[in-house]
Amino acid sequence: MQITEPMTTTKNMMGLVVLSLVPGAITATWVFGAGVLLNLVMAIITAWTTEGLCLAMRGRSIAPRLKDHSALLTACLLALSLPQAAPWWLTMFATVSAVGLGKHLYGGLGQNPLNPAMLGYAIMLVSAPVAMTTLWVDPLNPPLLADAILAFLGSSSDAHTGATALGLYRNEFAGMTASEIATYPLFERSKLGLIAGAEWTALAYLLGGLFLIHQKIISWHIPVGFLGALILISSFFAIDPDTSTPVSVHLFAGAAVFSAFFILTDPVSGATSSKGRIWFAIGVGILTYSIRTYGQYPDAIAFSVLLMNFAAPMIDHYTRPRILGRNSAIKGAGGKSWPGA
Amino acid sequence: MVKLRVRQQKSFLRGGIFVEAHKAESTQEPCTFIDTPKELIFPIHFSGGGPGKILIKIGQAVAQGTPIIECKSGILHAASRAGHITSIEPRRVVHNSQALSPCIVLKTDGSNRQENNLTPISLPLDISEIKERARAAGILGLGGAGFPSHKKWEEKVHTLIINGAECEPYLTADDTVMQIDTHSMIQGACVLASALNVKTIVIGIEDNKPAALHQIKKTILASQADHSFEIVVIETKYPSGGERQLVWLTLGVELPSGLRPVDLGILVHNPGTLAALARALDGKPTTDRIITITGEYIGRPRNVIAPIGTPIRHLLTSAEAKFDCITDITVGGPMMGFNSTALDAGITKMSNCLLANSIKKYSIDPCIRCGYCAVACPVQLQPQQLYLALSNDNLERAQHEGLDDCIECAACNNVCPSHIPLAEWFRLGRFQNREATRNKQVAASARIRFEARTMRLDRLAQEDASKRVARREQTTDALVKARKLREKNTP
Repeated sequence: MQITEPMTTTKNMMGLVVLSLVPGAITATWVFGAGVLLNLVMAIITAWTTEGLCLAMRGRSIAPRLKDHSALLTACLLALSLPQAAPWWLTMFATVSAVGLGKHLYGGLGQNPLNPAMLGYAIMLVSAPVAMTTLWVDPLNPPLLADAILAFLGSSSDAHTGATALGLYRNEFAGMTASEIATYPLFERSKLGLIAGAEWTALAYLLGGLFLIHQKIISWHIPVGFLGALILISSFFAIDPDTSTPVSVHLFAGAAVFSAFFILTDPVSGATSSKGRIWFAIGVGILTYSIRTYGQYPDAIAFSVLLMNFAAPMIDHYTRPRILGRNSAIKGAGGKSWPGA
Repeated sequence: MVKLRVRQQKSFLRGGIFVEAHKAESTQEPCTFIDTPKELIFPIHFSGGGPGKILIKIGQAVAQGTPIIECKSGILHAASRAGHITSIEPRRVVHNSQALSPCIVLKTDGSNRQENNLTPISLPLDISEIKERARAAGILGLGGAGFPSHKKWEEKVHTLIINGAECEPYLTADDTVMQIDTHSMIQGACVLASALNVKTIVIGIEDNKPAALHQIKKTILASQADHSFEIVVIETKYPSGGERQLVWLTLGVELPSGLRPVDLGILVHNPGTLAALARALDGKPTTDRIITITGEYIGRPRNVIAPIGTPIRHLLTSAEAKFDCITDITVGGPMMGFNSTALDAGITKMSNCLLANSIKKYSIDPCIRCGYCAVACPVQLQPQQLYLALSNDNLERAQHEGLDDCIECAACNNVCPSHIPLAEWFRLGRFQNREATRNKQVAASARIRFEARTMRLDRLAQEDASKRVARREQTTDALVKARKLREKNTP
């Protein structure tokens, strides 16, 4: 019987995660312009609509599930991952894929094997690769509100967009030395001496993430495992600065910090034991570095997370803690294979 | 010379939860006797034992202490007050099932007649003598499980632990025993320890019971016992009073999965059981127990000494319960107890608490595998994975995940942000598991019987056939002889 109010409820957990995204979202708006906010609004409206429609089609009651903030959270995570100058249709289709295909196709909240936000992102990355790789706002030249609205409505202008730092490293900087790269405008006019403002968003997300750890909504295992693996690998390969991407760019240019605290920590699609979570996060870190360095896409978190989501059930089978009274932990699947009967 | 050592715990509970204790409510008033109820009800079924043997007839007059039921384990249950047996009829019983079950109904007459078939026995005692007395006096685990105590008194026992942790919220029955019945408890422990050659008597007690701790210390030091006592004060954290958990907290011994403490020579007893044992040796069978009546709908929450078989309604009335608010009450603690609407059922020896609280109804959300339950689990299970397996009807997977190691403490229930009744799932799963095992055993023994029968029939048929062959051969031989004889005689 439940006699005490649990520390928190599912609804509050989701709400707190959304709340801890606020500093990151504000900083992103400051650095990248109003496109971030437009993305957020579009994604939230689409997510709520999709959630309601899917629940109605599945014959479930709509109100309690809409109130649990899970669709809101997916929408926010997705909107903050998408290119800042994305047109409305990109955000809309991404959100519909995330909520509809990523979550409800598998049976709704708690049943999805893959991270919904990252599934939506990956679907758009393969369906609309040009929009997903070229519409990133150049932090040196963020658009004003009018320009942001124009971009949102779909009239693309190259004035405010450009390749991301990670994209530059993978496509443009081959053959250049580190000192030549340092004179590149994106790094020269940096606000913190790194990547022209992107580092501020990363720090704001870090703040939100630490708040979540403090509130015991997420455990430290995942951020430490992921960022640790990424830092270790990239600093190992950064011995020669002329041929490799520096650690700071790996950490601050892409979505690394944001993902470490907000994307990888999705409990539903990730590994569930503490040890399992560390392995899961290390796996994402290794894959992220590999895909960023050797793959076709400049940023790689979405695919790394999805790949590790597939591996999560297996990780769970091999990272069970030792049950007290037993000599060793139980390894392997055991029992009937899924699903059920 | 008595030796006493008081120390803090050295090993700590993995997992577990801090819950509001709510113990102060029921300790405001001193523990008292209640008025003898008009009617006492004794179910004749016992947990895990099936129906007991009825030792009395309808209409028979009984005294306090007259054995009325002998249950399968041989334990005699006594009438808890004098009166006469009015009927044996189906009544609702204190059980999770809320089912009707045959009960002996005793109408009390208010007299003090006592049965004197048990004579006080003097020290020193042999263990078989104590066992026989415990059986005759109806001693069983008063902590809630109701295990026949004498079955645990094996030769190999080397340590006796008194489980004074009482980690369940609201419960203060053991606390009360340790405060007002300390002498009997220590005496019972000493007798048992002498008979079993136990070196050390360990008392595990949570640090929220300073009064009981003080009383125990005083009593031990004043006693003439020739034993060494060790009191281990443990942190108040649920479920420190679980048998396996207490063995770990006091001795630092991790019980191997599937073994009971007594398999390692460790005997764990509830304070009430030991006090009842001391009284049994004085010639008094167990007829009463201390029970906590508490909760927000109880006007005067307190502990009372109640005859076994007292109807719940009578106890609630004596504690000035607000009946118009009460739909069902919790028997046992709020964590491991169960809800019952059978207010006219009689309490049993195992009923340690009646809790009348408003029952909060939560809407259950889907499991999001947050893992809070895994942090709270005192045996390091992954309740979220167990739940996943059980909700998919995959009992084999659940067993693989360690369902059999679950102690059903319900710590996971109280941290689940989705309000999933995890422990109820696990109880159900464990029950289904036991049923499946039993069915398998039944099927196996049926198969063995069938095979034996087939073999016997085959053997009989073979014997018949060989006899027939032998007979035919005999006949043939006789015919041949006769023919030869005939041929010889006829020229």
